[in-house]
Amino acid sequence: MAEVRSPQSTYMLIPILLLSILLSIAVIRGPAIVTLEGLGSAITVAAPLCLATYALMSVAIAGRGTVDLAVGPLLAFINVIIVSLNELDLVTSPLGVFVLALAIGIAYQVVFALVIIIVRVQPIIVALSGFLALSGINRVIMQRPGGTAPEWMSTWGSGSTIFSPILLLLVIATGGWLLFTLSPFYKHLRMMGYDERAAFTSGVRGNLVRVGAHVISGIFVALAAICYTALIASGDPTQGTTISLTAVTAVVLGGISLAGGRGNVLGALLGAINLFLIGYVLATFNFGSVQAFVTQMSYGLILIASLLLTLLVPVVGRHISFITPFSAFMVLGVVVVAIMLTVGISMPEGALPVATTNYDLLPTPWTAEIADFVPTPLQKVMMVALAVFTLGTIMMRVVVVEASARRFGVFGHALVAGMLFLGLAVVALYSLPSSGGLLK
Amino acid sequence: MNFVPRSTALVTLNLIITFVIAAIGFGVGFGQGMLAQEVILYTIISAAVLFWILNYIAVIYESRFQADKPADSAESAVGVGSVWRNNRVLIIAMVLLLAVYLIVTGAYPPFRSIYNLIGFLVLEVILIFAFKVSNVFVHGRSAFIGLIVLLALIVISAFTIVGFLSPANIRAVLLFASFLGIACIGQTMVALMGGLDLSIPFLIGAANILLLYLVGLGVPPWFAFVAVIVLGCGIGFLNGIMSYKLQGQALIITLGTGFTVTGLVQIITSIGSAFAGNVFGKVPDWLANLAAMNGKFFGLAVPPTILLWIALSIIVVIALRYSAYGRYVYALGGNRRSAKLVGISELKYWLLAYIISGGCAALTGALLLGWSGGGFIGVGDPYLFTTLAAVVIGGTSLAGGYGGYGFTVIGVLVLQVLSSFLIGIGLKYEWQQFIFGILILPMVALYSRQPSIRAQV
Repeated sequence: MAEVRSPQSTYMLIPILLLSILLSIAVIRGPAIVTLEGLGSAITVAAPLCLATYALMSVAIAGRGTVDLAVGPLLAFINVIIVSLNELDLVTSPLGVFVLALAIGIAYQVVFALVIIIVRVQPIIVALSGFLALSGINRVIMQRPGGTAPEWMSTWGSGSTIFSPILLLLVIATGGWLLFTLSPFYKHLRMMGYDERAAFTSGVRGNLVRVGAHVISGIFVALAAICYTALIASGDPTQGTTISLTAVTAVVLGGISLAGGRGNVLGALLGAINLFLIGYVLATFNFGSVQAFVTQMSYGLILIASLLLTLLVPVVGRHISFITPFSAFMVLGVVVVAIMLTVGISMPEGALPVATTNYDLLPTPWTAEIADFVPTPLQKVMMVALAVFTLGTIMMRVVVVEASARRFGVFGHALVAGMLFLGLAVVALYSLPSSGGLLK
Repeated sequence: MNFVPRSTALVTLNLIITFVIAAIGFGVGFGQGMLAQEVILYTIISAAVLFWILNYIAVIYESRFQADKPADSAESAVGVGSVWRNNRVLIIAMVLLLAVYLIVTGAYPPFRSIYNLIGFLVLEVILIFAFKVSNVFVHGRSAFIGLIVLLALIVISAFTIVGFLSPANIRAVLLFASFLGIACIGQTMVALMGGLDLSIPFLIGAANILLLYLVGLGVPPWFAFVAVIVLGCGIGFLNGIMSYKLQGQALIITLGTGFTVTGLVQIITSIGSAFAGNVFGKVPDWLANLAAMNGKFFGLAVPPTILLWIALSIIVVIALRYSAYGRYVYALGGNRRSAKLVGISELKYWLLAYIISGGCAALTGALLLGWSGGGFIGVGDPYLFTTLAAVVIGGTSLAGGYGGYGFTVIGVLVLQVLSSFLIGIGLKYEWQQFIFGILILPMVALYSRQPSIRAQV
């Protein structure tokens, strides 16, 4: 009998499930998202949110209910400072902007940590204080949205390709955190977040660890602000509250406990992506003038639903313990890739219709000529049978491996990752008509 | 208890302080061009009262000191060294303030006025009070500090801003304090139980437009008013039951219901309307009178909302202090496990707190409709953090079990008077927000520090 897995990873099931559902709907409703341009702009739009979510995550893990609500105003603060100094021709070079942004982000977070440690007031009060102060000062520095971002940023935010510098920043940030999780410092951080007294009695230097977590958070905020500046190519002092609330939502959607100790970067990433996809999916439904309200309501409903689902996690974990997040991710990934392929194949070259009729789940039927390759019925049956057989074999193997072993082997990881990558590559190539489909 | 300290040094010190302050008052009185008789009268009265208060405090200190150190009085070193050691932070703060004052006075000639001197002295006195005297008041220390700050703010504002103490301005301050105060009732209740309610601003906005929409549909206004409040209670119930199941996640849950409710209400009010998100209609007269600045209450020129707030405050304070309900709330907030073992239903009181919170938020939204005369979803936005700030400044612990609505009233008044003062000296809303943010920390730090981790092990 397989033992009950640690809840740490079981909580990832919800974001993964949500991601697959949202991604499927997104692909069906608006296939443009799986083109190179679509992915590129999606990354550009989602990156600031992802990084802001990381920033919240790293302090949330530190415990004491540290929800840094000031993350949005801080992001906006760095944004307006970059733009204002650029207007004054003081700081325009990439190096200068990065140093400036990182310095502000880290300085603010270190002050935050020191106030918590020395003055010993509840973190939520410090966050509240910072929120009010920064929102106020943002409007003082820049009365209304405007200004221009440094010139070198102009190509960043265009989103014409997947491999933009913004993706690089995102990958570095994610990879950096994953590397950080290998260090003992991270273990101390999680231990402190989970039970501060136990950590103290076992010799963890809590204050140092707390400052460290906040410094990391400051770095993430700075990177988020740079991405945000590149995205909107100007300064905007008004969006702080929205960013804060969205990032908090994303943290919760990612299965990260605001009470501390539980959470990982993939959860944060999934949470932010889910939130982006909710917006994307809703945008493909045409709600007319009430669009913004529907989006807001859906955020709220999904937030509550995913929280209520976490109540089910222990029950689920007890009964079907062989489902680990990774296998779930794999199964659902295969399903989503299959949907992508179906949509990609049934789509004529050059036409990527976004569903325009209200409330249809299936894409608009197309009337153009079918592409060159038309399989005969027998070929179709053969292909489907082969695919099902292959997938079934691998799936059963994975389930058996996962159910019997505590750790999933390197081979399994590599195999699954390779398959997913292959699937995604095929879809990406398919959906880009200009590069010519594979079947041509 | 006698009213004169035993040590003659203390009496002399008190006398000197009294004389200095009386002399300042004397000079200022003549500077204002008041009648000589009045000046002398006021000086004598104030000097006498001050001397009595100082002696009273000195006596308390003496007795405390004797109680604390019965035997080893030989060890307690006397002299400059011990004074420095015991009051390091206070002395540094006072010297810093003095330095700032001198620098500004030296560098900026228009600053050299009698009002600023008084303002400076008041700040120094606040520091002394905050650090020294407030220790006497073990319970309600935050309320004491809050009251002192409130008093100082009123004094400074009255001196610097023309017309600050005019009836119109007082009415305006009280009216806005009423809106904030009513919205804070729920937040205080929830905080006493150790929760948080961030759905208040969203509920205010939603109630605001929903009420106007219902009135526009032809629903009898009084019925719509009651219905909106009941709906608010319903949302509070949902908040309560979900945050009870998901302990520690109240912040997110309430945020989620807030999003949902505003979205839903805006969708409902937008259907069939060409102006999405805007609701137009006529506010009934009685509602406008209830909350408008020129509202009348049986002929008195006082908006009924202020009286409503006062009545609600009295009810809530008394209910929290004397009723079984109030005592159970404190018991649960203080130590939930023990309270449960005593047989107090946790769920019941938790739910009640959130229901009250939802109802109060809806009531505030409805009253704000009467004040503004037009529905606007964003009317609740300023309340997102000000309700929390008022509760925290008042001294109610967000961890639960300590505080009360009386404290929150002080917090609300401090925020409103400060806001009125900042508007009076010509600062814009952004600067106000900035200053609020900066001020919350030191105020909370004075009385609501958590124990060090070393003390918790």
